[in-house]
Amino acid sequence: MFGYRLARREKPLPGGQLVAFLVGLTGALIVGAILLIATGFSPIEIYIEMADSAFGSRQAWSSTLTQAVPLGLAGLAVAVAGSMGLWNIGAEGQIIAGAIAGAWVARLGPDLPGPLLIVIMLVAAVVGGGLLALGPALARAHLGVNEIITTLMLNEIAIRMVRYLVNGPWQDPTAVGFPVAPVLPEQAALPVLFNRANIGVLIAAVVLLVFGVFASRSKWGFELRVAGSSAKAAEYIGISLKAKIMTVLILSGSIAGLAGGIRLNSSDRIVEGISEGWGFAGIIVAALALMRPSGVAAVAIAFGALRVGGTAIQTQGVSASISDIIQALVLMGALAAAVFTTYQITRVGSGGQAEDNSAPDVSATGPATIEAGQ
Amino acid sequence: MTAVELEGIWKRFPGVIANAGASLSVRSGTVHAVLGENGAGKTTLMNVLAGVYTADEGSVRLDGVEQRFANPAAAIAAGVGMVYQEFRLIPTFSVAENVALGAAPAIVAKGAIEKQVGELAERFGLATEPGRQVWQLSMGERQRVEILKALWRDAKVLILDEPTAVLTPAEAEELGRITSAMASEGRSIIFISHKLDEVKAFCDEATVLRGGKTVASSLPVDELDPASMAELMVGEATAVSQRRVRTTEVGATALSVTNVTVVDVHGRHVVDDVSLSVGAGEIVGIAGVAGNGQRPLADALAGLTSLRSGTVSVSGTDVSALSPGDRNDAGLAYVPEDRLGVGLAPRMDAVENAMMRNYKTLGSGAFVDRKAAFDQAEGLIDRYQIKVGKIDAPLAGLSGGNLQRLLVGRELDGEPEVLIAAQPTRGLDVQGVAAIQNILVEQAAAGVGILLISEDLEELFALSDRLLVMHEGKIAANFDPDAATRHAVGAAMTGA
Repeated sequence: MFGYRLARREKPLPGGQLVAFLVGLTGALIVGAILLIATGFSPIEIYIEMADSAFGSRQAWSSTLTQAVPLGLAGLAVAVAGSMGLWNIGAEGQIIAGAIAGAWVARLGPDLPGPLLIVIMLVAAVVGGGLLALGPALARAHLGVNEIITTLMLNEIAIRMVRYLVNGPWQDPTAVGFPVAPVLPEQAALPVLFNRANIGVLIAAVVLLVFGVFASRSKWGFELRVAGSSAKAAEYIGISLKAKIMTVLILSGSIAGLAGGIRLNSSDRIVEGISEGWGFAGIIVAALALMRPSGVAAVAIAFGALRVGGTAIQTQGVSASISDIIQALVLMGALAAAVFTTYQITRVGSGGQAEDNSAPDVSATGPATIEAGQ
Repeated sequence: MTAVELEGIWKRFPGVIANAGASLSVRSGTVHAVLGENGAGKTTLMNVLAGVYTADEGSVRLDGVEQRFANPAAAIAAGVGMVYQEFRLIPTFSVAENVALGAAPAIVAKGAIEKQVGELAERFGLATEPGRQVWQLSMGERQRVEILKALWRDAKVLILDEPTAVLTPAEAEELGRITSAMASEGRSIIFISHKLDEVKAFCDEATVLRGGKTVASSLPVDELDPASMAELMVGEATAVSQRRVRTTEVGATALSVTNVTVVDVHGRHVVDDVSLSVGAGEIVGIAGVAGNGQRPLADALAGLTSLRSGTVSVSGTDVSALSPGDRNDAGLAYVPEDRLGVGLAPRMDAVENAMMRNYKTLGSGAFVDRKAAFDQAEGLIDRYQIKVGKIDAPLAGLSGGNLQRLLVGRELDGEPEVLIAAQPTRGLDVQGVAAIQNILVEQAAAGVGILLISEDLEELFALSDRLLVMHEGKIAANFDPDAATRHAVGAAMTGA
């Protein structure tokens, strides 16, 4: 009965987040190098190309930041819910719902002046994302229905909804059978900041900053973290869990919806693949940020760079699968390392011995609580 | 013939000695009661027998053969089964599936298992439907499934940990019939209980534990009477050293509880028409065996559990309809039984835990004034001599005594009119106990009305101005601690 198991650290490893990322990155690059050598490439050249295409120029930075916007907002959506111990797996669907809502508004008022149209479209996207989270929020708060399942299922609804729209009522009559909606009014495009980056980068940066500060410094964020640490402790200090679940899940959906809005206003029309899997990637972003909204931005930029770099090396002849594998390795390495900032491997002896070393609290003592004699 | 023989069992946990040379001898074909107060070491001793813990010292023998169980599976293989207070069943599995889980052939027809489980149940008179899913069953039926699980694995020794705590009286009677059916087959049943009438009705012999030691072994139950049982369980009256000077002048009523009834999810009246009052500067103690309504009463007063009926007032203000937070603002502080998880948030640091009561007033506007929060935590740490290591590290690593000082300190920082302290010294070391008791005494002297809920009679006798006893959700008796004997209080606790 000897073996190893993961045990929660009493306190997270100091500086763990950064160390974890670097360790994971190094491990992944080593494995990736073997793959590249095996397929006839020089790993050093390829890695330099990856870094260069992600960070080497203004153009590179603009691509990286543009990728980081939806990743960061989706990651924030997951992390905001996650700080309270809720899992929003539905960011993908909420991004799409946001884009649908934005596109719908644009169809209603195609002649509005640019700034007004953009603001209305983004607000609609926020509302749309929030609305898609409304059902799961109500079900969780009032009936205790697991939000993981409901938010996950609603992704499918949203994906099919946009497919239906661009194949049916919204299909562009001039696109001769292509499943695309008509182009958006020109003035709906977000103003360009530099190269490919538009003002969406600034919007996302402000949102991430506000939530990062709010979650760690405000009274609201404090309540969120108490509820995430212990639901009973939250009730004990008079926090209404129902109200908190409602606001947090809807807020989470709204943030993802904003990502959909920014994407829509960065492209010329709504299409089936308006979200490139950012909602699911956001779960990884949030996990790497250890569910802390303040850590999301840095992770999102690194993740965005990885995506940009991964795409760029394909132009060097590296196959798409190898590129995907390298990206996945980096994420797996970082995630695995992140686990060790909060957990450590301990060797356990026989059934009885393992219990002896743990503090006598309910969670650690296994099957029965210890009677604390005096 | 002796089926079970535990001898000189020692079991130490960090800061706690749970068993200090305890022994137990059970003859085969009998139902044997194990009695003792909370913290007497009963559950630990049973866990040693069931292979959950390995004893530090001492021997375990089954039918005369020395055993050393490395894990529960080894104990089950040797014929020891245990039914815990919290059932370990899979709600969405059927009765038969739960019974056979982990102890059935790899491939088996569902119908065949149901038939076999049904036959086994019938043999012992356990009324159950093998095909029904567990979530549909009452607590009594679930317990029968647990017993079936043990019988399915052919347990020769069956441990029942406070089996009647979750049962209705009719179900408890039924359980008595089942245990005697099993005993008549030559099996041994160990029956952990606090209730004398049950012990008398269901058991043949009784062993009493106190403070981790066996103080009476294998007494025939016919020789037990309420007085001697209470005395064995709680011990002789000892000279109390730091007995508190009683409050001579009780101030205005600080806490007034009128006809409060609390109903649990199973519809049982866990708190049944309780009325009491605590004056300013008074300590009112509530004694009782665990599970007689103390916890739901405390939670209901603090607002964590809703009242079925009745009112709670703090200094004349009706707070019955208020949230836990608003009750705190109205002057009611609460030190809950679960320090970490209810009173304190384990993954947050000392600063954040210290501000749980007043975070709304720390800093104007939406943000918390970090400096004020930090100073407040430092102040508490200083005043109550809390050893926290790093002030911004999660609390989970702190010792019980430090956690409790932080919790009690924070609750008193808001200068409450009333403090409800539930098991405030349970599990603490000697210094921790003294520190918390001193704080309670000081606060009473400063005019706080304190409701002290404890299972430690020593503590209650030392600190209380008045002593109430809870039994089956009701206030069963009311004592003057200067005049009352431990005997009388112990008897009231066991419902005699």
